[in-house]
Amino acid sequence: MDIQQKIEELKNRNLQAELGGGEKRNEQQHAKGKLTARERIAYLLDEGSFQEIDKFVVHRCHDFGMEKKKTPGDGVVTGYGTVNGRQVFLFSQDFTVLGGSLSLPFGEKVCKIMDLALKTGAPVVGLNDSGGARIQEGVGSLSGYGEIFKRNVWSSGVVPQISVIMGPCAGGAVYSPALTDLTIMVKKTSNMFITGPQVIKTVTSEEVTTEALGGAMAHNTKSGVAHFAEESDQAALDRVKEILGFLPQSYREEAPVIECRDDPERRDESLNEVVPGNPRVPYDIRDIILSVLDNNEFLEVHKYYAQNMVVGFGRLNGIAVGVIANQPKFLAGCLDIKASVKCARFVRMCDGFNLPLITFVDVPGYLPGVNQEYGGIIKFGAEIIYAYAEATVPKVTVITRKAYGGAYIAMASKHLAGDISFAYPTAEIAVMGPEGATNIVFKKEIDASAEPEATREQLVEEYRNNFASPFRAAELGYIDEVIFPENTRPKLITALMMLRKKKTSIPERRHGNIPL
Amino acid sequence: MSEITAPMGGKVIDVRVNPGDSVSEGDEVVILEAMKMELPVVANEGGTVKEVNCKKGDSVEAESVLVVVE
Repeated sequence: MDIQQKIEELKNRNLQAELGGGEKRNEQQHAKGKLTARERIAYLLDEGSFQEIDKFVVHRCHDFGMEKKKTPGDGVVTGYGTVNGRQVFLFSQDFTVLGGSLSLPFGEKVCKIMDLALKTGAPVVGLNDSGGARIQEGVGSLSGYGEIFKRNVWSSGVVPQISVIMGPCAGGAVYSPALTDLTIMVKKTSNMFITGPQVIKTVTSEEVTTEALGGAMAHNTKSGVAHFAEESDQAALDRVKEILGFLPQSYREEAPVIECRDDPERRDESLNEVVPGNPRVPYDIRDIILSVLDNNEFLEVHKYYAQNMVVGFGRLNGIAVGVIANQPKFLAGCLDIKASVKCARFVRMCDGFNLPLITFVDVPGYLPGVNQEYGGIIKFGAEIIYAYAEATVPKVTVITRKAYGGAYIAMASKHLAGDISFAYPTAEIAVMGPEGATNIVFKKEIDASAEPEATREQLVEEYRNNFASPFRAAELGYIDEVIFPENTRPKLITALMMLRKKKTSIPERRHGNIPL
Repeated sequence: MSEITAPMGGKVIDVRVNPGDSVSEGDEVVILEAMKMELPVVANEGGTVKEVNCKKGDSVEAESVLVVVE
């Protein structure tokens, strides 16, 4: 073979690999409204930046006639490239090659880029579209999964890991996304479950469709497994780019700071009116969040899940921050099991990746109920406390209205090593609400009164005026400053800039034991 | 037909619709009070109110059907 022939051979091999499962299968992929594995990579990465690795890897299985079914790349496209100029590693499962099923070499390819990501400190993006284990490979395929899971765990908190579900993702395959930081699902075309509808029907006689069981909205609203639901492959990949912009390359770095064109001193007089005077009347906490963040931009995470808690990314003076807030508009903003887990996990992700925590508090307390207690609200509620107390990033808290009892402590209070705590004049910080407290503290007076109801109401009013305010807490130094709501943005930014070089640590240990 | 359920247990402090009324998506049909907060319960789709299963002062459990819209 002369040189020209060798170059031709490389060209032909490249073309063959790039065809994946062939034109017909690629068309089928398009007919389902999906992009192919390579089209997804091209859409996500900066143009021309993709560097492919292991393009010619094939499987080594010789059972069941598999030796006749070899496709270069073996069902997954892996490599690295840049998103907005920043390096990422990625794998894109190719459903057109043996249903995107995972073989041992497929697993090895994914592991190779995960190892490079860990060594070099760059995010991993996984594009999932696979029928599951390659059954013909037997336990070799399971080894592939296990090695990926191990790397997911070892990478957790070291480099950001983002999973996009763009097709089926079933059985053991679901654990890899679950171990990553954020999961995005594409509506209609993606699903996730440990056991599918048919198995469920045989075992428990429950009848459920694939979509109802494991579709994008099932996991965004009910299970909380997914954090985003997007309309198309393109929208999901756009979301990946947006998220990456808020995250550092690894825990050793800071998230990129963007030049802030929004006045850090910007005040908003409408904030003085956002919190209703009547403590029973709900409002939308997002009105405050959107007002204070740069350019009024907020990327809400887990938007459809446990809506009594709002979490997401934004910027203050160009600095990426994690925002956590109770939502009075939904379930009175109480803390329940789902909201607790949502909050704790987001706080830990932000702390892991050096994002300061901005917390807005308006919480009436933990949700009472037998289901909540049996479900373990004690340990899940404790997760919030654990996550905030453990976090060493800058922590700034704004109490807008209610902050009662254990929920007051849990929501990024001074007592859990909060750095700066602000309160609005409308804040009510006390051990419990005026009604409950009055019934206990003044039980004798109320019982002895000729008109117990009138006495009770009067005492409630007195208690409200004396104790349901930010000033008792401010007198004790638990609130650093009672602020005018219109000044929230400048106050947050000033505090954040003061905390920019914060250095602190918690006692050395092998690792903590968060209640799970 | 859509059933409008209580998002959490609480006390009914106002019922804003009667059978036969037409409602649009997002309309407040019942106001609950829970955790000492007012909690508006809204129609998840438009239609005509077929049943109202609660009245002012009732205590309702989470997930119980308050209003049926057709």
